[in-house]
Amino acid sequence: MLKPVVLPKNAFKLFFQSLKGLGTVYAPVKVSEKSYSFKEVHSPEEIAFEALRTILPPKKFFYPQEETLIRYKNGDFEEVQPEKKFQVIFGVHPCDLASLGILDTIFSSEPADSHYLKRREQSLLVGLSCMPDKHCFCNAMNADTAGSAYDLFLTDTGEEYFIEIRSAKGVELIKSLAEKVSDANPENHEAYKEFWKKREAAFSHGLETENLRSLLDLEWENQIWDEMGKRCLSCGNCTPVCPTCYCFDLVDIAGLNAKEGERVRQWDSCQFVGFAQVNGDFNFRATPADRLKFWYRHKLHGFDDAYGFKTCVGCGRCTESCPAGIDDIVQVVKILQGKKENKHYEP
Amino acid sequence: MNLKSPFLPQKSVIRSVVPMTHDNYLFEFRDSVGHFASCKPGQFVELWVPGVGEAPISVCSGSIDGNLQLLIRKVGRVTSALFDMQEGDWVGLRGPYGQGFPVEKYKGKDVCMVAGGLGVAPMRSLWQYILDHREDYGNLILIYGMRHSIDLLFRAEFKQLLRRHDIDVFIAAEEIVGPDLPPMSVQLGRVTDMVRLSAVDAGYEVAICGPPVMYKYVVQELEKKSVPDSRIWLSLERHMKCGIGKCGHCFIGGEFTCKEGPVFQLSELRMLPEVIECEGGAH
Ligand SMILES: Cc1cc2nc3c(=O)[nH]c(=O)nc-3n(C[C@H](O)[C@H](O)[C@H](O)COP(=O)(O)OP(=O)(O)OC[C@H]3O[C@@H](n4cnc5c(N)ncnc54)[C@H](O)[C@@H]3O)c2cc1C
Ligand code: SF4
Ligand code: SF4
Ligand code: FES
Repeated sequence: MLKPVVLPKNAFKLFFQSLKGLGTVYAPVKVSEKSYSFKEVHSPEEIAFEALRTILPPKKFFYPQEETLIRYKNGDFEEVQPEKKFQVIFGVHPCDLASLGILDTIFSSEPADSHYLKRREQSLLVGLSCMPDKHCFCNAMNADTAGSAYDLFLTDTGEEYFIEIRSAKGVELIKSLAEKVSDANPENHEAYKEFWKKREAAFSHGLETENLRSLLDLEWENQIWDEMGKRCLSCGNCTPVCPTCYCFDLVDIAGLNAKEGERVRQWDSCQFVGFAQVNGDFNFRATPADRLKFWYRHKLHGFDDAYGFKTCVGCGRCTESCPAGIDDIVQVVKILQGKKENKHYEP
Repeated sequence: MNLKSPFLPQKSVIRSVVPMTHDNYLFEFRDSVGHFASCKPGQFVELWVPGVGEAPISVCSGSIDGNLQLLIRKVGRVTSALFDMQEGDWVGLRGPYGQGFPVEKYKGKDVCMVAGGLGVAPMRSLWQYILDHREDYGNLILIYGMRHSIDLLFRAEFKQLLRRHDIDVFIAAEEIVGPDLPPMSVQLGRVTDMVRLSAVDAGYEVAICGPPVMYKYVVQELEKKSVPDSRIWLSLERHMKCGIGKCGHCFIGGEFTCKEGPVFQLSELRMLPEVIECEGGAH
C-alpha cells in the first residue's frame, strides 16, 4: 500500500473533478425523507455525504437487475458485451466494500463471469467512512474496515479527508491532485485513529458471532423459524437490498418475431416459492419458514465451506426493508443463542 | 479482457428423434467439435431452445462418439418446444457439468444401479459405461422401477440386458397397464421390493437416481441390507439454472449441487439439511 495522503475538505471540488475526468460518477443522493440511492452526480453539492445505507447496494453497477447475455437472430447467436463505460462509485461504506470483495470472489471463481468482471474492470471505487446507526453490525461480521475492494478510501477526520490508496488507478488519481494533497503527518494519523475509535464505540447491536457456524446447524429446528414464517410475506425484499445476494434467473425474451430475441439474466430471490421447485412439482422449500431459515443459514454459515466467508456484512438493509418487520438478523441470532427471549416473534 | 461468457452454448444439430413413449423421446445431437467427448456417466448438460429457455438434462449414453444422446420427457415449456423440433434443427448445449458417478472408485467392485422413472436416463450412461468396461467391475445388478408398465423406457435395450448373464436385471411396475409387447419380465412392485429381492449386500457400491421421494425408501431398504452410507451414491435433482455454481438455485447446505453433484455420497449428505425430504409431488 502507498503512504496515505490528506485532502483538505475545501479542495474536494477538485478531487471530484478528477473523478469526473475518469467517467460517470455515482454517489449517494437523498431521494426521500429517509432514503438514499446511488445515482449519477454532476457536482459535489448533489452528494449526500451523511447517507448511511442506500436502498440498493452498489452491486447494481456491476451486476444489474437485468442484463442481456446473448442475442440470437436468424439462426445464429452471439455474446452481448457489457457497455464500454467507466464508472466511478463514490461514497461506498466499509460493509458495501466488503460485499463487493465477496462478489468479486464469487464471480471470478471458475468459470468466471465475464459480464461482471468486465464491468468491474472499468470502474473505480472510492470508499467513505461512516458512523453506525442502530441497525449496523458490520463490525460483528468483520466488515467494518476498508477491506480490499477499494481504490481509494476516505476517512472523514473533520477538516480533511484521510485517504488510503490501494490500487494503481488510485495512485494515478492522487498524482493528478499533487498540488492539493499532502502526505499524512503524525497528527493526521492520530485524527484517523481517533475517528475509528469513536466509530467502534458507536455500535449498539451487542451481537456476538463466534459460534454462528454451529448455531445455525444446531438451531435448524428452532421454533422461531415457524413463527417468522407465519409472518413472512415472501415478498423477496430482503434479497435485492442485500449487498451480497446475487442469485439469478436466466430467461429468454423473444423479439417481435420468433426468429430473434435475447437471453437475459435477472435477479432472483430464494424467498420466492418456485426457487427450489423441481420437475414434478416437488418443492424442497415449500413454506416461507423453509425459505427464511435457508436464507439465514446461507447468510451466516452457508458459504463457510464453499468459499470460506460469511455472506452477511452487517449493513442492516434487510432489517430496514422488511415490510413484515421480522427480518432482524441481530435479534434472531440472539434468540437462537438463547440470549434473548422469543417475545419479539410471537405471532 | 478476453473472457468469454460461460453462458454461451455450443450450437448442436438434432441428428435423430426416437419416440420411446408418447411423452419421452430420445434425441441425438451431433457433437461435431467433440465438445462433449469428455462426458462422464451422471453428468448433465444445459439444453437451450432459443426463444424459450434452458433445461438441465442428463447425459444418457455411456460414450459420446460424435453424437450425444439425451432422453427427454415433455413436461413444460422448453421440453415441449423441443418436441416440436425435427432432425436438422439446432439447439444450444452447454456443459458437460457436475461430477458424475465415480466409475473409477467402483472399479473392481460389485455395483448395484437403482433407477426410478426418468432416473433411468442418467443410469443408462452408467450401465453402458460399465458394460463397455465389463472386465473392470464385479457383479452387476440393475433395478428399474416405474409407476405403469406402459412407461417402460429403452424396451429393446432392456430385452437385450435381460438376456445377458453378467448383469442381474430387475424391472418393476406398480401397475401393469396396457399391452406388454414384446413380453418382458416386468414384476409387480416398487424399486424397494426389487432391492429386497436382489443380492445386494454390504460389499456393493450402489448408484441411485429417481424422483426425490424415492431416495428415503430405497436408502431404508439398503440399510436393512447393511450397505454403508459411504457406498451409496445419490444423484440429486435441483432446479439447476446455470449449471456452473453461480445462479444459486441448486445450493443446499454448503454445496452447489450442480458443481459438487449432482451425484453425492450419502455419508456426505447426512451432514446437510434439506437434502432428501421434500414437499409435494405425486407419490
Ligand atoms: C441434473 C438434472 C438432470 C436432469 N435430467 C433430465 C433428463 O435426462 N431428461 C429429462 O427429461 N429431464 C431431466 N431433468 C429435468 C428437466 O430439467 C426438467 O424437466 C426441465 O427443466 C423442465 O423444463 P421445461 O421448460 O420443459 O418445464 P417448465 O415449463 O419450466 O416447468 C415444468 C416443471 O419443471 C420444473 N423445472 C423447471 N425448470 C427446471 C430446472 N431447471 N430444473 C429442474 N426442474 C425444473 C418446474 O418447477 C415445473 O415443475 C433433469 C434435471 C436435473 C436438475
Ligand atoms: S443479510 Fe441483511 S444485514 Fe446482512 S448483508 Fe444482507 S442485507 Fe445486510
Ligand atoms: S423482506 Fe421480510 S417479509 Fe419479505 S421475504 Fe424477506 S423476511 Fe419475508
Ligand atoms: S445451477 Fe446455478 S448454482 Fe447450481
